[in-house]
Amino acid sequence: MTNLEIGLVSFPALLILIFLRVPIGLAMFVTGAVGLGLVDGRPDIVLAKLKTESFSAFSSYSLSIVPMFLLMGQFSTLGGMSQSLFKAAESWLGHRRGGVAMAAVGACAGFGSICGSSLATAATMGRVALPELRRYGYSGGFASATLAAGGTLGILIPPSIVLVIYAILTEQNIAKLFLAAMIPGLLAAVGYVLVISIYVRLHPDAAGTRPPVPMNERWRALLDVWPVMLIFGSVVGGIYLGWFTPTEGAAVGAFGTGLIAWLNKGLTLKTLAESFVMVARSTAMIFFIVLGAGLFNGFLARTQAPQEISQFVVSQGFSPWAILTIILVFYLVFGCLMDSLSMILLTIPIFFPVIAVLDFGLSMEHLAIWFGILVLIVVEVGLITPPVGMNLFIINAMDRDTPISETYKAVAYFVTSDIVRVILLVLFPAITLFLLPS
Amino acid sequence: MHRFFTGLSRLMAILGGSVLTLLILLICVSILGRSLNTILHGPLFDGALSGVAAWLLALGIGPVNGDFELVEAGIAFTIFAFMPLCHITGGHASVEIFTSWLPEKANSLWGMIIEIVFALVMVTIAIKLKDGMYSQIRTGTTTFLLEFPIWWAYALSLLGASVAAVVAVYMACARVVEALTQRVIIPIAEGAEH
Repeated sequence: MTNLEIGLVSFPALLILIFLRVPIGLAMFVTGAVGLGLVDGRPDIVLAKLKTESFSAFSSYSLSIVPMFLLMGQFSTLGGMSQSLFKAAESWLGHRRGGVAMAAVGACAGFGSICGSSLATAATMGRVALPELRRYGYSGGFASATLAAGGTLGILIPPSIVLVIYAILTEQNIAKLFLAAMIPGLLAAVGYVLVISIYVRLHPDAAGTRPPVPMNERWRALLDVWPVMLIFGSVVGGIYLGWFTPTEGAAVGAFGTGLIAWLNKGLTLKTLAESFVMVARSTAMIFFIVLGAGLFNGFLARTQAPQEISQFVVSQGFSPWAILTIILVFYLVFGCLMDSLSMILLTIPIFFPVIAVLDFGLSMEHLAIWFGILVLIVVEVGLITPPVGMNLFIINAMDRDTPISETYKAVAYFVTSDIVRVILLVLFPAITLFLLPS
Repeated sequence: MHRFFTGLSRLMAILGGSVLTLLILLICVSILGRSLNTILHGPLFDGALSGVAAWLLALGIGPVNGDFELVEAGIAFTIFAFMPLCHITGGHASVEIFTSWLPEKANSLWGMIIEIVFALVMVTIAIKLKDGMYSQIRTGTTTFLLEFPIWWAYALSLLGASVAAVVAVYMACARVVEALTQRVIIPIAEGAEH
């Protein structure tokens, strides 16, 4: 076999391993190691490479942002910021038709601005908002679907761990990616609110009402969310204005949320240890995939497969828009099966060179940022689509009385809004790039 | 036995988390020092207060020297220390829907094979990290600013990697016993988080 053939054969081999329940990071590690051994017919090279490979993958200043953002999310949960966000949103929106559900989406968006993970957002807001939704007569399926979809705002609205990984893979500026994610993230929240108002008109019995809250109480509730605004402002603003690097911003955010959690008596030695355990589990999972993907992508680069594929695609003369559509549909389909970070680490090194040579009438940097935001959205849809939508499972586990099939029915409305949004962003790149300096 | 290894993994996770927290504090102190340093050099301290500024700056107010290097060394330890807990709780992401229709026995056998390969990989990673550490000792490479030997960072990481390898071997043994006796020792954990 030529090196290129080895590279091309490795894709189906890797996919088979993944679909046979081999942990994704392990599958990439093994395929990459075997492939590297075959490329030069010298297995000893693999072993020599491993002397530094794991240490250099883990001792990364820019990737240290990942555990810091995860810890920040844990502290935000402990600090009671989810309650104050929901209370503020509910006091303004709760009396409307479907208003408590809209408030849950609003609170998810707020929480997403200080938390870089969808699952943490879904879990935290689910605990706060699900009992309230049920109390005001919202149907189980609708309430669960709202919170599962709202949870995806955790990663769509910056800070976002997926964007950090994308930025590192494609060598883009994290600050600019965060900025570009802002309007699409807010559009997502607006889209979900629209979905709720349509849903409650189609299914009037799915939602109850609650009495309005007096104006002065509304303002007071809104004032109570100042810590969230302060932290979001200093982290994202500070990174953008160049006061500090993204890693420093994450450290400031973790420190700030930790301090607030401690002042609110949410942070004790016991909860701190539990936070470490939660962060450890997610961090180790992500970094093992990073390690496996590093080995696999290093091997692929040796076989020249990514360059050959991108040259082949370009030489076929397909329309750039057709190729982009195929890639996005691919993510939507695979997102039903795989988690978003694995997918990005696995596919960006192959897809990005293809996208990079296509002409969409955008500068290289704008193209990379626009594509990153589109990918971010389509991979996150996978969190709320059956059969393995993790957000659906998390919310479902909190409300055992609701059959998951009911949630699936209601979540279809939210998925539709996601797809409409992707189409809008594809057709009008300016929505994404609007906030960026030209 | 399972309680011992779970406890060990949790201990490593908490150790790793503590180092992570120290790094966060270090970065915050460094930012604070850098900001103060900028202010002291700024127009506010230009005139009558320049003596105060000079005095404060002489105390060494400024960014922490080599914070970048400390973060890199510390975060490597943190990540390695986090590995055992993820492994023992079945936290690694995988796609399970295609194997769910397999008979239970085939699934447990296949799970055993995966766990054995995983253990081999983790042991290899730890051994190779040790070799890497010896190379660093031989060449005597130091970091750029603080000039501490890089093998120190390797040694710390090796601690985490070794526990991860031991836990992986324990998990493989447990799955072998399970497959042989058809008895569940460690229930398969729920899906991973990310």
